Amino acid sequence: MRDLKNHQPSVDAPTKWMRVRVSLIGFAFVAVLCGIFARAVNLQIHQRDRLQGMARDQYLRDLEIPARRGDIFDRRGTPLAQSVDVDSIWVDPSLFENARDTAKKLSAILGVDQKELLERFTRGRRFAWVKRQVTQTEVEKVKALNLPGFGFAKEPRRFYPQRELAAHVIGLVGTDAHGLDGLELSFEDELSGDTARRASVRDARGRKVLTNGVEDPLSRQGAAVTLTIDRHLQYAAEKALLKAVDDARAVAGMAVVLDPRTGEVLALANAPRFNPNAPQGATADHFRNRAVTDAFEPGSTFKAFVVARALEDKLITEKSTFDCEKGRMAIGKHVIHDTHPSGVLDVRGILQVSSNICAAKIGQKLGRERLVENYQQFGFAERYGLGLPGEAKGVIPFPRAEISLATQSFGQGLTASPLQAAAAFGALANRGVLMKPYLVSKVVDADGLTLLENKPTELRRVVSEKTARTVVEMLESVVEKGGTAPRARMDAYRVSGKTGTAQKADPVARGYSDKHFASFVGMVPAEDPRVVIAIFIDEPKTDIYGGLVAAPAFKEIAEVAMPHLAVPPSRVVPVVEVAAAPKKPEPPVKSPVVAAIERLDELHEADEGSVRVPDLKGQPARAAVTQALTVALEPRLVGSGRVVAQTPAAGTLVEKGARITLELAGNLPSVTR
Amino acid sequence: MNDARRATIAYDPVLLAAIFGLVGFGLVMVYSSSAITAQDKLGDGFFFLKRQAFAAALGLVAMAVSMKLGYRRMARLAYPLLVIAVILLIAVLIPGIGTKVGGAKRWIRFPGVSIQPAEIAKVAWVVYLSYSLAKKREKVQHFSIGFLPHLGLAGFLVVLCMLEPDFGSSVALLFLMFVMLFAAGAKLSWLVGSVLLAIPFAYTAIATSEYRMKRITAFLDPWANRQGSGYQVAESLMSIGSGGTTGLGLGDGRQKLFFLPEAHTDFIFAIIGEELGLIGVAALIGLYGIVIWRGVRAALNAPEPFGTYLGLGVTALIGFQAVVNMSVAMGLVPTKGLTLPFISYGGSSLIVLMGAAGLLLSISGASDGGKTRARAVKVSRAELSMGGAEVAA
Repeated sequence: MRDLKNHQPSVDAPTKWMRVRVSLIGFAFVAVLCGIFARAVNLQIHQRDRLQGMARDQYLRDLEIPARRGDIFDRRGTPLAQSVDVDSIWVDPSLFENARDTAKKLSAILGVDQKELLERFTRGRRFAWVKRQVTQTEVEKVKALNLPGFGFAKEPRRFYPQRELAAHVIGLVGTDAHGLDGLELSFEDELSGDTARRASVRDARGRKVLTNGVEDPLSRQGAAVTLTIDRHLQYAAEKALLKAVDDARAVAGMAVVLDPRTGEVLALANAPRFNPNAPQGATADHFRNRAVTDAFEPGSTFKAFVVARALEDKLITEKSTFDCEKGRMAIGKHVIHDTHPSGVLDVRGILQVSSNICAAKIGQKLGRERLVENYQQFGFAERYGLGLPGEAKGVIPFPRAEISLATQSFGQGLTASPLQAAAAFGALANRGVLMKPYLVSKVVDADGLTLLENKPTELRRVVSEKTARTVVEMLESVVEKGGTAPRARMDAYRVSGKTGTAQKADPVARGYSDKHFASFVGMVPAEDPRVVIAIFIDEPKTDIYGGLVAAPAFKEIAEVAMPHLAVPPSRVVPVVEVAAAPKKPEPPVKSPVVAAIERLDELHEADEGSVRVPDLKGQPARAAVTQALTVALEPRLVGSGRVVAQTPAAGTLVEKGARITLELAGNLPSVTR
Repeated sequence: MNDARRATIAYDPVLLAAIFGLVGFGLVMVYSSSAITAQDKLGDGFFFLKRQAFAAALGLVAMAVSMKLGYRRMARLAYPLLVIAVILLIAVLIPGIGTKVGGAKRWIRFPGVSIQPAEIAKVAWVVYLSYSLAKKREKVQHFSIGFLPHLGLAGFLVVLCMLEPDFGSSVALLFLMFVMLFAAGAKLSWLVGSVLLAIPFAYTAIATSEYRMKRITAFLDPWANRQGSGYQVAESLMSIGSGGTTGLGLGDGRQKLFFLPEAHTDFIFAIIGEELGLIGVAALIGLYGIVIWRGVRAALNAPEPFGTYLGLGVTALIGFQAVVNMSVAMGLVPTKGLTLPFISYGGSSLIVLMGAAGLLLSISGASDGGKTRARAVKVSRAELSMGGAEVAA
């Protein structure tokens, strides 16, 4: 080895200290490489999600389009809220010859601020929105300009085909398509679905370069929500309620229609109402879903529950009598009054004339604990979880004072919502069993997966079947002659119900004001109730009594509901004039009325306040009338049989509420199909 | 015995495999990272790949030549190489000869090829230092003989580099000098002292240059300057992070879609991280680790100090650039402008580094046969038996 080295130009092998130093340098490099590897682990494992998200943001950011919002349907599948595709206009400003000039032209057509447009065009990006959700005419006009660089994108927009109908239940969305109120708010997550990324990846210059098979966002859809609401009954309820509120010059009104056997809410109406397609100008007053969110002193309707409990507990019998003190009774330093001063009355009579004094006496028999417990049994001071924002709970305070026990026996000094009142009457109607009220029957996502399904739920037996039947039967007297609500009486169906005329508490004077809250809660037909209808009128001015103000609305709704639900009449009514009422009961499912309504869905309603006249020719009278009513036309019948002529003609655009004259002929007995 | 050794080319096969691995890896990644840009700008997705492949072929020739000649001949070429490097460094500054790219004059463009004088200067500097240190031997420990002249010459080269300006190469030249002086036995106090002395100058160099200052701020917080000076680093971090463990797959990286400038040159490591993930990064770091390990081993086993210095210098040149480039891409040090050795696109760098690698291989083969696994390329039977005898001895 030594001789080998001697041949080399440089002598002396590396010394030991040199070897140590060289090795040190080598180790230092390896150590640094290990440090670099540790950093790579940190970036690629620990920080991966954050960095990947940021990277994804930059090549997909502008292209994020939310899924098409899910639809909301009524119980028969009629859309109440839909997403429709509308055009949005965008541009690639780099293709403009003169951005200022283009901005000026567009501003003139679309009414967008010229300066703002120019600012958007000169941001240096190759994509800028001009105007979103435009009309077809605007698109045509822009296309007619024939300028380079324009693009038209389809974007889903929320549309409420039934406009005001059930607006408080459905709610509405804001401009960014997020729910603001109602079910649109409470089912936001389900309806909005997953936000999709655009189908293309873009490079740093904004051009589409790769298509990676991401599904088309417009084909993605949020979950569909199906309600228990029956569009037809909802329409009838809103119409009757608006009329009642109008007639009474009241501040507001609420109506709840539910099926006592299942707890399904068939209609939930509020007045005043709003059009969710054009909510501009509507105030908080219009948006409030009072039937669910407001709790107030209900008044005499609560006497029914007091009587039911007293009967159930065998404290009284049907035959018990009470002295109603001729309309005046002192309790301590307070005096309670009756509207109709009476002498001795039996239980039926107490309900019929709605005696506060006798109700107080029955309440005294029950006692404080039992009274409060009873109300709680009937579902008061408890939220049902309907799925709407801000559901009211109501308060049943413990009645310490003697006077409180008395007033709470006739529904003052405690609060309840219209929904709770309807549900509690539902318990009486459903033979003593309280059903849980529900509004949303099904939520199904785009893949057909059921996210939520509500089925009829028995909450508890409140009173025995015998007691419930007895009370319902007693309440029939309310609508008979001598009762407080003869206006709720129907010819063909037995009606059972209770009026309420509550004094509103004055928050300032700490007493009761001269403002009232009129109500009527009833069920029909009394022998086997199919619907419970609760009507509440806030601060009526013309009359204050529930029997006068609220009962007619009840009757109006019931008269639509009974044939619609194909309920056989309780008694045979002599046919007077029109052969509209069929002799035979309708087949239980899918009546011609339903078919007519379903056909209606194809009709497109035009501008607000006007409707297109449907073609009613050849239809049986009843179907024609229903159909006319559904599109807010007032039908007038001439003759009998099937429709042979109509004025105005089909397809004409007329104002809502206009009259349509239908000529009927061929009075054939075969009107049923 | 000596005749036999001259007739064959002995080398370390592990080192050769690692270098070939890096060059091959580089070709694949240059294509993956440049194809879209090339297609977009030049209409030929293979443009950069073709050029890099051509450079690799030239590099192979350079490597073979330096192996064939043997590293010892480099001792005689130390001065001529240094002079050529200085001439080129001056020439690049002359308008009309040097080509300005991105605010820096770093290239001399000939028809068909362009060369980067700084790349040549780095190797010439390593060769010169090896020669000089080996020649001066124990005298290196004298301040005026072993330290001052080298420092002066380094200063001259650094000034030339800074005029381009090329901060990264300047730092590399100084680093190589310190490493080699340290190995040669220079006193630590001189090295530390001169570093301390250099701090004010470095500070001035950075503070007076807007682009260097920006690089520092970008390094300190790339996210705060994401649209400005921190853009490259932020994009690079996003690329690497996106890769995760297994990467997005070769060719499927997203950041090279113009988000990451210089994806195929200085920031090619980011694309490796994105497309091949931690596995790819680990493979790359492993290859550099092998090169450093076998390079240091060759230096230690070199029969004379010149070989040791040269082996260490070339290893340090490759290791330093690799470490700095990867650190820059991962936001560990400020942006330098140094290429990833054997991987980044760039002909001068690849050819020069492959030539230098040839020297390293030559050193690995020249060492004491009993201590290395040096192999002969053309082995005759006689040589085989002789080799066996050596091992036995």
